[in-house]
Amino acid sequence: MLRYIARRLAQAAVIVVIVATITFVLIHLAPGDPFSAVMDNPNVSEKVRETLRAQYGLDRPVPEQFVKYVNSLAHGELGWSFSHDRTVREVLGRALPNTLLLMGVALVGSFSLGILIALIQVARRGSITDHALSGLTLFFFSMPDFWFAILALLAFTYWVPIFPVGGAVDPVMHEYMGFGARILDRLRHLALPAIALTLLASASVARYQRAALLDVLPADYIRTARLKGLTEREILRRHALRNALLPIISLIGLSFPALLTGAFFIEKIFAWPGMGYAVVNAIATRDYPLVVGGVIIGSIMVTVGSLLADLLYAWADPRLRSH
Amino acid sequence: MPGQTQDSAATSVARPRESPLAIGVRRILRKPSSRVALFVLGVIVLVGILAPLIAPYDPAAQPDIVALKDLPPSLAHPFGTDPYSRDVLSRVIYGARLSLMIGVLATIVSLTLGVAYGAISGYAGGVVDALMMRLLDAFLSIPRLLLLLGVLVAWPRLSIGALVLFLGLTGWFGLSRIVRGQVLALKHAEFVTAARALGASRRRILGRHVLPNLVSPIVVAATLGVAHVIVLEAGLSYLGIGVPQPLASWGNIIQDGSDQIATLWWMALFPGLLMVLTVMMLNILGEALRDAYERR
Amino acid sequence: MAAMRYAGLLCALFACGCVGTESSAGNAGGTLAISTGGDPDVLIPSLLQSVQAAQIADMVYDRLADIGDSLNILNDKGFTPRLADHWIWSADSLSIAFHINPNAKWHDGFPVRSSDVRFTIASTKDSALGSPAAPLLTNIDSVTTPDSATATYWFHARSPQQFYDAVYQLPIMPEHVWKDIALTGWRASDAAKRPIGSGQYRFVRWIPGAAVELAADTANYRGAPKISRLIWSIAPDFNTALTRFLSGETDFFEQLRPENIAEVRKHPELRTRQYHALLYLFAQFNLRDPANRARPHPIFGNRELRRALTMATDRATIVRSVYDTLALPALGPTVRAYPTTDPNLRQIPFDLPGARKLLDSLGWRAADTNGIRSRNGRPLQFTLSVPSTSKVRVRLAVVLQEELRKAGVKVDVEQLDFPVLVEKERKRAFDAAIGQWSTQPSPGAVRGSWGTAGSRTASGNNYGSYENPVFDAYVDSALSSFDHVQRKAYFTKAYETIIQDAPAIWLAEPIPTVGYHSRLQLVTLRPDAWWAHIPEWSIPADKRIPRDKAPASTAASPAQTPGQKTQ
Repeated sequence: MLRYIARRLAQAAVIVVIVATITFVLIHLAPGDPFSAVMDNPNVSEKVRETLRAQYGLDRPVPEQFVKYVNSLAHGELGWSFSHDRTVREVLGRALPNTLLLMGVALVGSFSLGILIALIQVARRGSITDHALSGLTLFFFSMPDFWFAILALLAFTYWVPIFPVGGAVDPVMHEYMGFGARILDRLRHLALPAIALTLLASASVARYQRAALLDVLPADYIRTARLKGLTEREILRRHALRNALLPIISLIGLSFPALLTGAFFIEKIFAWPGMGYAVVNAIATRDYPLVVGGVIIGSIMVTVGSLLADLLYAWADPRLRSH
Repeated sequence: MPGQTQDSAATSVARPRESPLAIGVRRILRKPSSRVALFVLGVIVLVGILAPLIAPYDPAAQPDIVALKDLPPSLAHPFGTDPYSRDVLSRVIYGARLSLMIGVLATIVSLTLGVAYGAISGYAGGVVDALMMRLLDAFLSIPRLLLLLGVLVAWPRLSIGALVLFLGLTGWFGLSRIVRGQVLALKHAEFVTAARALGASRRRILGRHVLPNLVSPIVVAATLGVAHVIVLEAGLSYLGIGVPQPLASWGNIIQDGSDQIATLWWMALFPGLLMVLTVMMLNILGEALRDAYERR
Repeated sequence: MAAMRYAGLLCALFACGCVGTESSAGNAGGTLAISTGGDPDVLIPSLLQSVQAAQIADMVYDRLADIGDSLNILNDKGFTPRLADHWIWSADSLSIAFHINPNAKWHDGFPVRSSDVRFTIASTKDSALGSPAAPLLTNIDSVTTPDSATATYWFHARSPQQFYDAVYQLPIMPEHVWKDIALTGWRASDAAKRPIGSGQYRFVRWIPGAAVELAADTANYRGAPKISRLIWSIAPDFNTALTRFLSGETDFFEQLRPENIAEVRKHPELRTRQYHALLYLFAQFNLRDPANRARPHPIFGNRELRRALTMATDRATIVRSVYDTLALPALGPTVRAYPTTDPNLRQIPFDLPGARKLLDSLGWRAADTNGIRSRNGRPLQFTLSVPSTSKVRVRLAVVLQEELRKAGVKVDVEQLDFPVLVEKERKRAFDAAIGQWSTQPSPGAVRGSWGTAGSRTASGNNYGSYENPVFDAYVDSALSSFDHVQRKAYFTKAYETIIQDAPAIWLAEPIPTVGYHSRLQLVTLRPDAWWAHIPEWSIPADKRIPRDKAPASTAASPAQTPGQKTQ
């Protein structure tokens, strides 16, 4: 088991290094100049721009920039975000908790909702409810994240304005609220993006879980349970669900990329100040270090997610424990 | 799982007349839901192909940029008009053409790469296989959207061809792993050993015996891959780094109206609905195919 | 004259004594929440470039003197005292001695001294800082400080706008805060995140991506401003910023689009107001061949052809389509708000048949089935680049594409990221581009953006390489004239010269429209900076809403959380 963990950790580290290299190479092929982005002003001279470029080391050859970059990466530094005038670590460090909060809520929400839907479907398999829910989950599963987010935004902040528009808190009044009111303010702002991401993510959980339950149902021990006189519902709860939970663990690991991708669009559209929001905005200002930093952190999140899921799986599955 | 694949491999050797593809098609046509999906997809594809004949207006023409812009849906313009007075229905029809084309072409690129990479890795084995798989792990750890953002930011002025290429280049990782697994399983299968014993060359074995058995995962991956690319392309176009302006793709039309989303709701709703419909049908079909191949 | 100004200031100080404290406030109080589309870039006056940063810095910092609402830039006419309570011109007019108001204090309590003025100018001119304002200070040789209350500006040459150059470009920064920080480290310093100025508002907090908050400086030498709290509510995009304004989360929205006006009208508590701005948009042609700058551009090198393109463009309709009534067709490389701009400048009229005839006579004849013209096998086709981030400019480009198609010209619209486009323009590696200049109160910027000087040097902003010595001469004459009438006459000749040469299609001069909550009492919106008079805006006590009553501290106010939501 220990050796398994060590091997998985080493794998994860190699992956992160490869990811850093790939993204750096890709983004540094860009032809633009990040500093001209802010200048709509005929009075700014080229000399000023050159000074700015020299100051940020952009006049160095790309290999040199890369060596610098890898070196600082090893020290936990992701570079300097010039669109924020802060270190990338600071920018992403500020954004990451928001992304993790959003993804965490959506993860718990979508697995609860998804499993619930699957149970209902399997309990009444073949019924109209089952078919209707299948259609619904397929619909959500097929929906582009950004399109659903746009519709949700339109519906609940514009047509029926019951949610605040964007942000994690009320920017004007939050600092003047009491403790309770602040919590409420945060929840009000979290609600719509979290619900949207939950609904999007629960579709694949429900579909996966329904299939997993149906796979397990004809198994011998369930037939035995049926013979013992257990009701269908009890069989589902006590036997089928327990056996179908193992695949759930690996599904958690697998669902990370989709969840993160979804969070990117959701954050952009609901102005949720997380990592996706920071990275998407950095694209427009061509803030190289911030985009690369975001891609690396995102990949680390996915790697760690699948690592944790694998370890959890190894721990939960007695067959693998002896490994 | 390995037992099943060997089974089907055995049947295909025994009955060379019916190709695995035909088996798949025959099987899924038994299900009414996949018949509906095939029909609807057929209609959408037909609409795309016949776009010049069907579209009521020229999708690029701006008949009157003052009086005819931003019109809500009406009889003359069932999907309304956009801020340039262009007919949204016509653009959605042409958009079907472009979005489907991008989806199919990008998927062809992914399939080629995925099968090649997986087959080489699985067939070579040993250190090569291990290295190739580690690299694959790295690629799989970067969410596809993030990877594409990195690429498209680096090359901001992309032709459609390059966009297709990049969408394809980032879509083969999952498939190649499945292919490798299949190749590994088949490598030691009896009929392959037999062929080798009979003196068949490596290439012949790959081409005649191994590849036909990969048809089922490829067909499934292709169907789901097209759906995925359509959604991705729309997302990228929505972020403004996908299909360039004069052309119409579904994501592009939504992007055109995105700065006035509250007033021009028809520009987000209709192309989005059509996109969801297409993707749903592709997903139904992909799963029916998977079922057809996996459960005898 | 100086004495009178001083007297006026004493009154202001006296008034400050009355309204300084919240409790006795007759009219002072309230919160102004401004919807804005992005974070400020950096809150250092000599480094900032974003409009948000300019707004905030103008509230926190103060200038020696402020330009009048007429935007006159000749000598010191119309300028009002700020940090300087009076000033004295030297006999040869090559220096101006500013006397610092003895009551002026930085927000940390230190008095404002002449050494602060010297420090501000010297640090900005230092190339190690890389200040975008440095090129604007070239006529200022140095600042000396005969005593702690007197800062003397020394100029290289006598010029009609030397006073403007001295006071308008930069607010004064505190030497004691910045002197120990290396110039290259300013941007990243903590001081940049907690600016200390001498303006009527002091900095409270900046939460990136969410808000910037300022509070009234009740001890200010100019008196406390009427509104106690300013908050910039930062939204990521136009729609979010607008929706926050419409839903009442914010009070002020700075740039409504035509389609939003009807929306605002649905809310009885909201108002709109228009003002003239210093902004114009155009489709610029590259007059030199991008492949070889020694040669003229194969299409745009020809003046008659450029004129034909302008003739083929129905600018009035384009402006109507994109802006409705919120813009006028641009006159030329200038704006109507300049007192030196004649609003009736002679234009190339819209004349599609005339354009077709002209193109025919130039040898460009319709050849292919799409009606695209060509000459000697070369189609009349070019690429029009446009920044993808600007929805308005993309719209202008797509509409222009269709306009020119009617005349047989094929335009490929190329959307580029803003930085990529600017890079292409700087390298002169483009065919045509939709450009936009936001200029300053001085019309002199035209020399850099359309004059020969800005074309030849790689650093110049005349991307299209339009070069006409006649135009240059008229501009120079105008800029060196001290007489307003003469100045205007020269500018008119300069503008008419460039308009007839058609190095660009002059598209639009937007008339920005702000939206605001009716309880706000606005004062004049100045063309160069609508926010200039915010300290004089007010919110009457009887119209205040809960957020106006938020205490200056961060104490709780249970009154205003509308306890809904089921989460």
